[in-house]
Amino acid sequence: MWQLLQIELYKIFGRPRTYIAFGAITTLIILLQFGLKVDGQEYADFMLQNLGNFDVQGKLLNGYMVCYLILQLMLVHVPLLVTLVAADVISGEANAGTLRLVLSKPYSRSSVVLAKFFATGIYTLLLLIWIAFLALFVSVMIFGTSDLFLMKTDYIVLIKQDDVFWRYCCAFCFAFVSLITVASVGFFLSSFAENSIGPIITTMSVIILFTVLGTLNLRIFNAINPYLFTSNMVIWKEFFDEKVNANNEAIAGSIQDMPAIIHSLIILSIYIIVLISATIFVMKKKDILS
Amino acid sequence: MQPVIQVQHLSKQYKNIKAVDALSFTVNEGDVYGFLGQNGAGKSTTIRMLLTLIKPTEGEIELFGLKLNMHRNEILRNIGAVIEKPDVYKYLSAYNNLKLFARMSGIHPKEKKILEQLDMVGLKERAYDKVQTYSQGMKQRLGIAIALIHDPRLIILDEPTNGLDPQGIADIRNLILHLSREMNKTLLISSHLLNEMEQVATRLLIIDKGKKIVEGTTAELFDPAQTLLELETLNNAETLALIKNSEWQTGLQPQRNNNILIKLHRNTIPDFHIWLVQHNAKIVSLQARHSLEDYFLQITSGTQHVAAFTN
Repeated sequence: MWQLLQIELYKIFGRPRTYIAFGAITTLIILLQFGLKVDGQEYADFMLQNLGNFDVQGKLLNGYMVCYLILQLMLVHVPLLVTLVAADVISGEANAGTLRLVLSKPYSRSSVVLAKFFATGIYTLLLLIWIAFLALFVSVMIFGTSDLFLMKTDYIVLIKQDDVFWRYCCAFCFAFVSLITVASVGFFLSSFAENSIGPIITTMSVIILFTVLGTLNLRIFNAINPYLFTSNMVIWKEFFDEKVNANNEAIAGSIQDMPAIIHSLIILSIYIIVLISATIFVMKKKDILS
Repeated sequence: MQPVIQVQHLSKQYKNIKAVDALSFTVNEGDVYGFLGQNGAGKSTTIRMLLTLIKPTEGEIELFGLKLNMHRNEILRNIGAVIEKPDVYKYLSAYNNLKLFARMSGIHPKEKKILEQLDMVGLKERAYDKVQTYSQGMKQRLGIAIALIHDPRLIILDEPTNGLDPQGIADIRNLILHLSREMNKTLLISSHLLNEMEQVATRLLIIDKGKKIVEGTTAELFDPAQTLLELETLNNAETLALIKNSEWQTGLQPQRNNNILIKLHRNTIPDFHIWLVQHNAKIVSLQARHSLEDYFLQITSGTQHVAAFTN
């Protein structure tokens, strides 16, 4: 398995397409940071405008705030970039004709599928580490640190700066599970196709469809909403919501709705396990005609 | 001789189409086994079943005396194959492709060994160039190098001369002969090019519509008295008239592509050649052709096959 995993990583990182995502993310984040550096104060003033006489001490537009803004903006883009690789891993090889060569080697199909999946997982992890480096560390270097000020729908959250970093670590871990779920969808669809265009477009369509269903506040869809992977992917924001005590003061180091996070992690894990098992099943049964 | 491949009543059904129909054959150690049939006859499906890419509907396959469904990995370790087109990773160099597939076959060859392998197929000079810059013939040779890198006992080549120019075809033919004679490898080669198979195969299996038509050695299948020659001269009409007025006229066949076709006993071909030269026939080419094709046409009684086999 280790041997196969090394080979799969070699293939993923030997391919120019792999670096599109890294390039796109770097460009996007740098542009956002540049924009906020130049016009950030205006943006911060606009945020405070709705709060009336709200006095904020310290730097509102700090590295933590910028990282949060970047992560919110990239909610849609990063899954699409992960899809580019995940949905291509099997079908791309079928299209190139190399799948038949790989599957005629002395490894079981389950091992090949799992090696490809783990390699996709490592790619996703590296992508996420790169995002974390650019969005968090570079932002902190450019904008400095201060308390994190967040405006939720009907209340404000203020997290002390020494209570923020671990929340980001948890949020990135959660994002990893979310992105692996997206990768699993692409991976599963990839097992049916003979070229990567179909699974890439279908995965993106599923993400868009599920997101729309999750956003529509209609009773008919509300029943399925908690089980859509896209609805559970946004739960990372819960790491940035604190519990309050009887005096309505934030409790440092607390998370407002931990059960929601655990519920989402379970749902996403079920998606991953089911989709990967289904991919193995499909590939084991499949006649390789490409 | 020890059987390397034993196939018993192998069938593959796709909905309404029976791609392979109760096919049985045996390939012995040291054979260059020609697997012949027109396009769509079931050759590639059979080969894919041998490599576990396609699951048989019925039948049994044994390789090296082991059942394929029970000893898959052990068996595949001893097989090198090029299946249809030699598709490899185009964004990698030939060297890196070879290294990668060697690892997949469970070996870690040193640079010297990889370069030796590329040298054998004439690609050493381009070893570090990306495969996307290669010609079809070079890719085909790289495919063969990949099939050989782990020193397999059995080599399976599916249509190895597809898309190659005459020089490329000759190179592959010489390589096959080298593998068989110098390296004592067992080869199973599928093709629809009968002339090519005649030149390299020790035994032949002809299939049509998934069924075995005939199996045997080339000597068993060909009648040397019925060797067909195709003659092209600078003036075919003049040469034809010359032959018609000679003792050779009994073997004349209807012309093809304006060339002269004549059936002779294999032993008399050198005399015919000398006679043509003596009579100042300006020979462009004289080739023994299609004896197997004729044989195929006889046994399948299918004139529709002519086009496929003469292309």
